[in-house]
This record gives sequence, structure tokens and C-alpha cells, in this order.
Amino acid sequence: MTRGLMTRRSLLIALVLIWSLGPMLWQLLSSFTTAEALVNDELSFWSRWTLNNYRDLLITDPPFWRYLFNSSFVASLTTLLTLMLAIPAAYGMAKLPHRLKGSLRAAVVGAALFPYVLLFLALLELARTFSLGNNLIAISIPYSALSMPLALLLLTAAFEALPNDLEDAARLEGLSLSQRLRWVLLPLIAPASASTAILVFLFAWNEYPLALTWLSRSDLLTLPVAIARIAGSSTYSVPFGTYAAATVLGAIPLLVLVLVFQRQIVSGLTNGAIKG
Amino acid sequence: MTLLLASPALLLIAVVFGWPMLRYAWLSFHAHSVLTGLEPMANGGANWLRLAVDQRFWLDAGQTARFALISVGLELLLALAIALLLHQRWRGRGAVRALTLLPWALPTTMMALGWRWIFNSPYGPIEVLARSLGLNSLDLLSTPSITWLVTVFADVWKTTPFITLILLAGLQSIPEDLYGAFRLEGGTPVQALRSVTLPLLLPYILLSLLFRLAQAFGVFDLVQVLTGGGPAGSTESIALYAYFNGMRFLDFGYSSTVMLAGFLLLTSLILVGTLLLKSFGVLRHIDP
Repeated sequence: MTRGLMTRRSLLIALVLIWSLGPMLWQLLSSFTTAEALVNDELSFWSRWTLNNYRDLLITDPPFWRYLFNSSFVASLTTLLTLMLAIPAAYGMAKLPHRLKGSLRAAVVGAALFPYVLLFLALLELARTFSLGNNLIAISIPYSALSMPLALLLLTAAFEALPNDLEDAARLEGLSLSQRLRWVLLPLIAPASASTAILVFLFAWNEYPLALTWLSRSDLLTLPVAIARIAGSSTYSVPFGTYAAATVLGAIPLLVLVLVFQRQIVSGLTNGAIKG
Repeated sequence: MTLLLASPALLLIAVVFGWPMLRYAWLSFHAHSVLTGLEPMANGGANWLRLAVDQRFWLDAGQTARFALISVGLELLLALAIALLLHQRWRGRGAVRALTLLPWALPTTMMALGWRWIFNSPYGPIEVLARSLGLNSLDLLSTPSITWLVTVFADVWKTTPFITLILLAGLQSIPEDLYGAFRLEGGTPVQALRSVTLPLLLPYILLSLLFRLAQAFGVFDLVQVLTGGGPAGSTESIALYAYFNGMRFLDFGYSSTVMLAGFLLLTSLILVGTLLLKSFGVLRHIDP
């Protein structure tokens, strides 16, 4: 490869990185900037910086870490519930006769494509009827349902990829269905389960319209709603410095998750799209 | 027995996806608002007649379709370029792949407020940059003819990584030998892109198009936080209009009608798109 081509490529890579990370880095910068420096670019360089934006987040009522806790709780519970339902269901679906499986899969793909925001009104009505509002445990039920199509597609594909002989051998050894699932099949579909888990977790962590309508008590809000509430004040009075600090704190757990589980996310998204 | 294992999960899907649609169908033939004491009262097809002549709904439908088509079109082009770059072999590729995934993972509401700051007039960095170049104030968030482009920009930033991933998987499925053979016959890289890469990538392109169009058509989080549908309703989407009808005007009958109509519009858009692709023979080589 010639030198010119290589510099051109480095330039393109730099552009892609600036495009992807620039806006986030700007938020990081703003979060350490004083409120005055945000609106006055004449200030001297040394008087522009502060940690007050972060301090402000800890003395609000409820303190900011409360939202981090709520989001982690809901996302973990949703992930657990989804996997508990989806793993046996995917096993069952993989074993269904071809025709029935085909039509069920078509329905599941349809649900996976569906822009779920259109469901919010009827789901809110259900929440009111059964008093499920303002309850972090209850909201994980619709969250699981909304993540279920993708989970089923990923896990069914994983079960289908396993050779039949393996389970037959375990059956001959006298293992019951639940034993076979637990000791033979589950370890084999662990990679697909990990991909599913991380995608479901991210969905529940980021979900907005349902959280917006189901949760109203300020100590129960999840992160996306808590952050959007700051925007509820008018455009001009949004405390952008404090807000930027909130996005930085809220983004850190996600950034860590994505960087650590990058491989699972990639294989989950690509398999979900391609096998679905 | 196996069906029994699958039934709790399938039942949950049926309830959460199916029930709302049935409920909307029923509610769309009822008045159900503050005026009826929040009790449903049959009103024939009044909601649907209202929808047919509701200029705001049709404006929003057009705006939603415009947003979805242009965002997804740009995302596809950008994702193709980035995927081709990330597919080549170079040092540090893995780290760059992981970093470009980050915008996709952040909550939409989070960056929506971030964009409000970045495009803020007069203090945001874009305005400051424009001023230092001697331009007038851009007012990107308060000019109806421009603000929708900001929402497109924000959507492209966030969801391009998703399409990039799908296209990367597609690129990896193309055997290297094909390119070798093409080079031996004297083909240039651009010709290789046109006659090897793009045709083989087509199923992946269509797949991501379908998924992204459906999601973009339901755009809600982004516009609700970034613009609130404004200025002057110029970025209001169907989902946001339905949300306003339900939560602000407490008109559940009409809100249901709007959501159902949105769903029907999306379905017909996808059907028409599929038929068009079929008639151009694009789908001929692809397994269903």
C-alpha cells in the first residue's frame, strides 16, 4: 500500500472518530465549565473550569445516583425475566414442526420490527387498571415483553444450530428435560444468552416512552426520564452545565458496558437481524 | 409439550403487542375524553371522519415520512462508507469499531438534550463558530424550515452504527476470492464495488432499511426532548401527535385513532416499498 493511500485512510479514520465521539467529548467539556463561561467566551482560560456541576447533582432531591440505581435495577430485573422466559420458549420453538414454527417466527419478526411507541396508551391503561404505575418491578413486565421478540429470534437460532445427537445422547443417559436444559444445552447457548442479555439490558436502560408514562414519582424515575425532565423547563433556562454532568455520569456505565461486551453486542445485533 | 414451554413468552408478546391494537380499534369508534367524563361512548366513525380532514395529522404524517426516508437514506450511505473503511485491515481497527458503536448505546433523550446545547442560539458551539466566521445567527432550533434537519442529523448520528454493523457482517460474508478474480480480469476497485460488493450486500441493505424505516417512522424520544415537536409543529411526528392527544388533551378516543392510522400508514408504506422493489426485480435473487 502506498504512503498516500495510508495517510488518506488515517484521515478518514480520524474523521469517523471525531464524528462519533466529538459530541460526547463536548458534553464532557461542558460538564466541567462554569455556568458563566458557558455563555461568555471572553472569560480567561483559568476561570472557566469547575466541579460544581457535579456537586449540584449530588445535592438535588433525590440525588442523582438514585436514578442510576433505578435504571440499573429495572434493567437487571428485565434482563433476568426475559432470559427466564425466553430460554425455555426458544428451546420449545426450535423443536416445533416446521410449518407452525414458520408462522410463529413471522409473527415474532413482525413484533420485533414494530415501532413499540405506538403501544404506550393502551399499556398505560393496563397499568392504571391493575395499579402497576410507579412500580419499578411492574414496569419490567412490559419491558420483558418488548425485548422478547429479539430474545426469541437470537436464542431460537442458537438452539437450532446445536446438533440433535447431543441432546439424544443426554436423553439416553436418562437426563430429564430440565436436566438436559440445565447441564447440557444451557452451557452451549451461553454466548447467545450473553448477547441477548446485554441487548435487553441496554434496551431497558434506554427505554423512554413507557417510563415517561408509567413512572411519575420523582424518586422512581429512570435515567432517560430524569434527564428529559431537566428539559421540561424552557429552552433558555436549561442548566446546561449541570445537565452535561448528568449525561456524563449517566453515560459512564453504558460506555463501560459497551466496551467490555462489544463482541456480544455485535454478534447479537448481527445475528438478530440476519437470522430473524 | 414444546409448545407449552414457548407459551408464556408468546402469550406475553401477544398481550403486550396484540391487546393495544385491538383496544385502539375499539376505542377509535368511541368518544373517550374529558368531555365524556373519561368514559368511552360509541360515536360511530366520528374519530375517523375527523382524522380524514385533520390537517395537523396529515402534515405530521408527511413530516414523519420525510424524516424517516431522509434519515435512513443518509444513514445507509454513511454506514456503507464507514463499513467499507472498518472492513479493511489496519492496526487498531477493533478499538475504532468499539468506539464508533458508542453513540448507538446512549439513551436517545440524553444526547437529545446534548444537541439542544450544541445547537443552542446564541451560546452553543455551532453558533459561536458561525459568528467567528462572520455569519449571522443560524437559529437552527427555531427556524421551521431547518430544525427538522437537526432532528435528521441527531438520528443519523445515533443510529448509523447499527446499520454499519449489519453491513460489516454482510461484507465479511463475501469471499475474498471473488475480489481476486475480479482484479485478475482487470476490474478497478470502483467496478468491484459496483458489480461484486453492492449486489452481494443487497440483502443486508434491504434488511437494515426495513428495520430502520419502521423504527424511524415511530420517532418519539428524539423529537419530544430535542424540539418538543416545534418550532410551529414543524418536527411533530405521528407518535408525538398521538402522545399530545392522549396525555395533554386527554382525548383517548382520538389518540387511539391516530396511533392506529400511523400503524396502517407504516404497513402500507412497507408493502408499497416491497412491491416496488419486486417490480424492479431487486428481490429476485434473495431468499425470503
